[in-house]
Amino acid sequence: MLNVIDYVPGDTVLHRLNPVTKLILAAAIIAAIVLADGYAALIALIALTLILGIYAGSGSRLLSLLKVLVPIAALMLVLQLAFVRHGETVALFVTTDGLVSGTKACLRLLGVALPLVLMLTVTKTTDLANACVEKLHLPYKYAFTFTTALRFVPIFTQEMNAIMEAQTARGVEFDTKNPFRKMSLMLPVCIPLLVTSVGKTDATALAAEQRGFYLRTRASSFKRYPMRAIDVAALAVSVALVAFGIVL
Amino acid sequence: MQPIIEMRSVSFSYGGDGERALDDVSLSIESGAFVGVIGPSGAGKSTLAAVLSGAIPHHFRGQLFGETIVDGTDTCEMTLTDISRIVGSVNQDIDAQMVASVVEDEILFGLENFGVDHRRIEKSITAALDAVGIADLRDREIATLSGGQKQKVAIAAILALAPRVLVLDEPTAALDPVSSRMVFDVLRDLNRNEGITVIVIEQKVALLSEYCDRLVVMNRGGVALTGTPHEVFAHGPELREIGVDSPRVARISNSLARRGLCPAEPPCLHVDEARLLIENLLARVGNRTRMRAADAPAGSPHIPARSGKQGPEPVVSMRGVNFAYPGGDASVNNLELSVYPGELVALIGQNGAGKTTATKLVNGLLKPASGTVRVAGLDTRQVPVSQIARHVSTLFQNPDRQLCKNTVLEEVAFGLELGGVAPQDARARARTVIARYGLDEAAAPFSLSRGQRQMVALASVVVLEPQVVVLDEPTSGLDYRECMTVMETVREMAERGCAVIMVCHDMEVVSDFAERLVVMADGCILDAGPTAEVFADEGLLRRARVRPPQVIELSELLAEEVSPAFNGISEVSGVVDTVMALMGQDGTSDPDGETESAPQANREAAPRDPKEADRA
Repeated sequence: MLNVIDYVPGDTVLHRLNPVTKLILAAAIIAAIVLADGYAALIALIALTLILGIYAGSGSRLLSLLKVLVPIAALMLVLQLAFVRHGETVALFVTTDGLVSGTKACLRLLGVALPLVLMLTVTKTTDLANACVEKLHLPYKYAFTFTTALRFVPIFTQEMNAIMEAQTARGVEFDTKNPFRKMSLMLPVCIPLLVTSVGKTDATALAAEQRGFYLRTRASSFKRYPMRAIDVAALAVSVALVAFGIVL
Repeated sequence: MQPIIEMRSVSFSYGGDGERALDDVSLSIESGAFVGVIGPSGAGKSTLAAVLSGAIPHHFRGQLFGETIVDGTDTCEMTLTDISRIVGSVNQDIDAQMVASVVEDEILFGLENFGVDHRRIEKSITAALDAVGIADLRDREIATLSGGQKQKVAIAAILALAPRVLVLDEPTAALDPVSSRMVFDVLRDLNRNEGITVIVIEQKVALLSEYCDRLVVMNRGGVALTGTPHEVFAHGPELREIGVDSPRVARISNSLARRGLCPAEPPCLHVDEARLLIENLLARVGNRTRMRAADAPAGSPHIPARSGKQGPEPVVSMRGVNFAYPGGDASVNNLELSVYPGELVALIGQNGAGKTTATKLVNGLLKPASGTVRVAGLDTRQVPVSQIARHVSTLFQNPDRQLCKNTVLEEVAFGLELGGVAPQDARARARTVIARYGLDEAAAPFSLSRGQRQMVALASVVVLEPQVVVLDEPTSGLDYRECMTVMETVREMAERGCAVIMVCHDMEVVSDFAERLVVMADGCILDAGPTAEVFADEGLLRRARVRPPQVIELSELLAEEVSPAFNGISEVSGVVDTVMALMGQDGTSDPDGETESAPQANREAAPRDPKEADRA
């Protein structure tokens, strides 16, 4: 089963960047999107993310993420339209100011989510964790927690699907068309999931300790993550992007 | 030789003053040994593994008495990290054992932590991967591997750390027979070539008897028996009392020994040993063998024959069914299958053959891409699963996915209530079933043991009185006694007219209980037929990569080389009786019941079974 955030193998410039640089680059795009105020800038930044995604071979992942995000963005637009009461009325309850702030909020939502996912699809989580420990002096405990959490996402998804299948086979109406009914049916199912996940987490902690987790230091990692010329270039681009966001 | 691990009067109880999970265990493990640990569930096997690997006292809390000496030092005086430099352990849940998402990183993790010189790391990785034969998986994502491959990665990751002892807790519980053997082959190589001491907890007696040089039988927190496999399996009746199965050929030789036909020890553990024994026995009577061979019954008279299964209408029928998963990795093609009421059908084949997919097509979880699946008169494509569930019940491999209520009573009644039965009625019916299995109706399902949870899941299937029951690996993770209780219950349901479709890797269980086998490979049904006929078809089994059960393998060898009278015998008692008949002795008297077929061996565990009483 493929996950949106799974690593997409490749050898593009994006893949070869230092994981920390990728993180900074993604953060720069996000910062620029938060700071930028014009439609052109917002759209340009999203387009930049998508182009980078297509270049790195994870375009399809970003598209499938967009499919999930667009409805949420639409919902946000409706809420904004309903709550913003300044400006001239266009039709019904919709005002001009509402439209402007609503559409911008939508674009920002998309623009904030995409770069992070793009960064994760071009970086192995272990590399990201090790590089953050080496370069950013992040304690390994936190890096490990982060990678484990990411690793558990597909495992728990599988577990959840298996539980829902088992419950459906018992006659629980998960195949109902009514989303609210489905939600209320899902609550009791969380109990078995919780029980399994607590057990798994404890087993992982034990397994990690038995393989010397507590001996690990910043120097332990076998792979090294040096900063190269392209990383410096990428960092320069990051600074430019933030500046671009502030200006526009 | 110097013991590498020594336990002296170790007792342990989880929590404050609870029951002791280990009770005064003294055990010494010689360096270089291959030790198998077996016992019924709740006997303390996993606790023993935790003590050996230092997880007790360093990870699990509780009260510990006695001392465990690992390589000369008490485990209480070492850190868990230091213990794990000597004792590497592989846990039951492979997914939870992994710390990385790529195979190479998984193996790197321990090496990096233990500060292995970076110049030697590359060599260690290659050596570890080669030792378990997975060099080609180095760059793979762990999530995309099969169960057997993951198990090997877990072993390689521990192996890279060069431990002197490996402790494995049920490493093959989730694997098919072929992968299970591969894992044991790896362990044997490590034991022989690298001199690593191996301690493995396992339920599959045939594997243990073949690979281990020492067995430890645990019961109620203590060590009940210990010795070489030959020594241990000479105690058939004691083992049965404890709830441990014996290899079927050991039952044959023990039973012959009890009749004074051969020495009591050592018992046979392998098919070849049993063949030699019987050949020699019969060679003594010489010519009479051939004369009497004609009188012997053709085929086994011991397979229970039931009438009425070929009813007018099949309750499940699949016609030209095709299905493929969206990823395109697994599919089933052109499935044709009819199952009649009262029939017990088993799907056999390797992992990935499409067995589970086929069962999901029956209970409606998957809808056919083309072709039709009709169950109890309903077309699965037109009826929602929750409707089909009123006619088809499924027992899953992992009961934890099925259980979701706070008490056993609510849990068992839940399915009935979903099916529209009034709560009062549902509870009354649930109480009857709960009482029958001796469960506690007020207990919380999740606080019960693994075997008990499976019984609760089974009770909630039985109470529905469905027309069709689908079982996916109903016996994996259960000990012998629980396994027999589950299967007896299933057979009773079949006798009452319920059609049973089961997927099962344990060929002994299949040959004891299934009437008809459907052999699958690569998403297709290769063939189907009565159990004895399918097991007799060597070519078919080879194509499906299935190993026949021991007794059938033995009777085929004997039929070929000794006497055709052995043809088609699938039960221990059948072989023994035939040997007796060929030797000109009365084969029906059985001094103490060693030849009982597996289901009968478990009369106490299956509380009500009038049919068994008749037969005994």
